[in-house]
Amino acid sequence: MNNVLIIIPAYNEAENIERVVDNLTGNYPQYDYVIINDGSSDSTRKICARRGYNMMDLPVNVGLSGAIKSGMRYANYYGYDYVVQLDGDGQHDPRYIEAMLAEMEDSGCDIVIGSRFRTKRKPLTARMFGSILITGAIRLTTGKHIGDVTSGMRLFNKKMIKQFGYDMHYSPEPDTLAFLLNSGVKIREVQVEMSERIAGTSYLTLWSSAWYMMRIMFSILLFQWVRKRPDTGR
Amino acid sequence: MSNSLRTILLIAAAVSACWILYQIRRLKIKLDHAIYWIVFAVLLAVLGIFPEVTYWLTRKLGMISPANLIFLVIIFLLLVKVFTLSMLTSQLEDKITVLSAEVALRSLDAEHRLEVQEEKEEGQNP
Repeated sequence: MNNVLIIIPAYNEAENIERVVDNLTGNYPQYDYVIINDGSSDSTRKICARRGYNMMDLPVNVGLSGAIKSGMRYANYYGYDYVVQLDGDGQHDPRYIEAMLAEMEDSGCDIVIGSRFRTKRKPLTARMFGSILITGAIRLTTGKHIGDVTSGMRLFNKKMIKQFGYDMHYSPEPDTLAFLLNSGVKIREVQVEMSERIAGTSYLTLWSSAWYMMRIMFSILLFQWVRKRPDTGR
Repeated sequence: MSNSLRTILLIAAAVSACWILYQIRRLKIKLDHAIYWIVFAVLLAVLGIFPEVTYWLTRKLGMISPANLIFLVIIFLLLVKVFTLSMLTSQLEDKITVLSAEVALRSLDAEHRLEVQEEKEEGQNP
């Protein structure tokens, strides 16, 4: 049986989903996949149903974190060993999954991040300012370096599948990475290239970015110290 | 501003901060929701530690007693919270309505499909 599951959270990705999934099924049949349709209000669900894609159709919108949780529960239910999270807009290239799996095998780590800044330098742009702050906060609280903290391309092992599927505070966001690093979980990065969005709009606005930064900073600097740490056996 | 009011503010700030952090540990409140109460506790502490801030604001607003200002600030913040909670519960109610409609619809659809399939099978082996 195939033991790698790709979860694709999709919220209003009607323009992208066919391209993303056809690329997966055509060129990477060795991986299983599941689309998590997060209560899309466009034709994402119809397209997936018509094309016979493997889809979990959430009836209401629960947000990215809830969509990932659903995917993790799917993976746990069907007994997968590895989960790869790919965005539904096609900015993540599945050809890097092999390198990420190899890195996990070699280093015995629990999470591999598909990183834009493993070997390349982070550009000093306004968009990267938040990323630089979060990298700094993680270094301050854990002493470890994560270059691409906001990358949505991640590989998880079986232990992480359980954590992310069943714990309230595990969001697929950088604050969880800081918390996990302090809990003894090993995280590695693999250099990848990401394309810009081809169609549709990103959900990030100025106000939501500010709120995002505040949440992440509160969580990394304060809340992670009171959270109950998982037994990682290390 | 009396010393007893300042002490009460400081105690309230410390207790509510600890209480919220403890509830995070028990998985009873989401991190996003906890931020508001932590900020609230910090604000109470600031009012208690620096009475000059309260005096200055009281004069600016033309109020008589600093205690009144503190009550007003707290009432205002609680009103905002109640209002946003009201919005949130409305959205949750709507989501539950949609959710139950979808669950009913999908199980009905599954039943229909099963019936059609059974009829087909009966048609094949009479």
